[in-house]
Amino acid sequence: METNNHSIETKNLNLWYGDFQALMDVSVNIPAGKITALIGPSGCGKTTLLRCFNRVNERYGNVTTKGEIKILGKNIYDPDVSLLELRKTVGMVFQRPNPLPISVYENILFGLRIHSPFGSLTRNQADEIVEEALTSVFLWDDLKDKLKVRATSLQLEQQQKLCIARLLPLKPQIILMDEPCSALDAKGTLAVEELMGILAGKYTFLIVTHNMAQARRVSTECIYMFLGELIEHRETQALFETPDHPKTADYVQMRYG
Amino acid sequence: MNRSELIIQIIALATLIIACVLVWILTTEVFHVEGDILSVPMDLDSESDLIDRLYRMIPLLCVAMLLSIAFAFYIEEWLSETTWYYRIINQHISILANIPSLIYGILVVCIFLFQVGKFSNFTLVLAIVFLVVPVTIQTTQSAIRGVDLSVREAAYALGANRWQVITDHVFPRAFPKITGGVFTVISRVLAIAVLLIIVCELRTSIIQDVGSYEISSNVFVLISLALLSCVLSSFLQK
Ligand SMILES: Nc1ncnc2c1ncn2[C@@H]1O[C@H](COP(=O)(O)OP(=O)(O)O)[C@@H](O)[C@H]1O
Ligand SMILES: [Mg+2]
Repeated sequence: METNNHSIETKNLNLWYGDFQALMDVSVNIPAGKITALIGPSGCGKTTLLRCFNRVNERYGNVTTKGEIKILGKNIYDPDVSLLELRKTVGMVFQRPNPLPISVYENILFGLRIHSPFGSLTRNQADEIVEEALTSVFLWDDLKDKLKVRATSLQLEQQQKLCIARLLPLKPQIILMDEPCSALDAKGTLAVEELMGILAGKYTFLIVTHNMAQARRVSTECIYMFLGELIEHRETQALFETPDHPKTADYVQMRYG
Repeated sequence: MNRSELIIQIIALATLIIACVLVWILTTEVFHVEGDILSVPMDLDSESDLIDRLYRMIPLLCVAMLLSIAFAFYIEEWLSETTWYYRIINQHISILANIPSLIYGILVVCIFLFQVGKFSNFTLVLAIVFLVVPVTIQTTQSAIRGVDLSVREAAYALGANRWQVITDHVFPRAFPKITGGVFTVISRVLAIAVLLIIVCELRTSIIQDVGSYEISSNVFVLISLALLSCVLSSFLQK
């Protein structure tokens, strides 16, 4: 395996919620530094698969996972893996923007404060980190005078960008996004997509979307899932234009045809 | 409602009834017979003694509420919703919290004030615990459940542990609702305090011979019916 080129590799990944099998033998390699889209009808396990990669699924008591998941070449179920480090490496952006009900400034620093000893961050360092993170997501000019404002009072688009920005101080390698634009308007959607395009290369993106136009616009590779199974994984253009599998064709053409 | 649900509710109801009987025996038999362990005979001449004692319940009230809030966090954040003890505890809370505060007030007045003839601190403590604890736990629980799942997940996804999630996310977001619940509880307590004071005044002015006062069986029938309807409503809300 060329682990260098793949940020995430799974082999025969199966997952059950109680008796219900939500993922069936999913084997997939996600290329590093690119944007990969995960599409499929609602309830097919996209969110479930995404949540395996930072092990947040485990919070539900009745989840059983079998199979192998390697992030950056390391099996994340190895006993020596620290959840803290894993979640530092693998950031996550959610469907609804979910900044914390504290200031913009503290939102950016929240992750860092968790991961660094108390008081180890000087005021100057903190200021720099906040400016850098906000600049990376093109929010600095809008928010530099509003750093003390409660983050939940921002516009949704700004909130979602802030949710991306707060991952960056942790220097993640992979950013998982679960329908990051579904709460945003058209303008906000385009802004977030543009941001992903610019950040790709530095980070590996895996984005769940049920907006196929979006998958086409932003992703390099595309994965189609159906009822817990991975049906097809190819370059985005190929998947949309010449799908191999009839199920993929049905799905892609139903919405486009 | 499936079978295991029914069993849980029956167990909850049975343990509650047993607990109530025990409390009854404790208050009427043990403390009455033993005399003034916790009870101070009522000063029949003034209600200021009662008011004074009600004021002295305020610290207890605060402690009871804080402990209830803490307990609500414990059962919501640490116990898994699928376990039987979580479900039984929940059932207890829901039955007790659904009982109108007036019933506690009437019980305190009828049974302890007139029947026992003494208005003990123990009675007041018991009344406050029953009035405050279940409702506070219940409103806190619903406040905690009202915190958007994605908020918790964001925090966990950033690497926060359970404590950090609770202190940095769940608590601040649930705080307005928790305080709302606290005020509901305070109003319940106040209403009962008013009831007690009025009854106390009435007794001082009207009833001279305490021993001859008989509670009519109608009162017990009505209270039993009210209790039954509370139990039913908590069953139906499932
Ligand atoms: N916590 C859970 N407990 C039980 N079943 C779940 C849970 N989360 C998701 N599921 C089930 O797993 C399947 C896949 O869900 P999900 O991954 O959310 O799908 P998608 O994101 O593709 O819409 C669905 O059938 C859903 O009902
Ligand atoms: Mg989903």
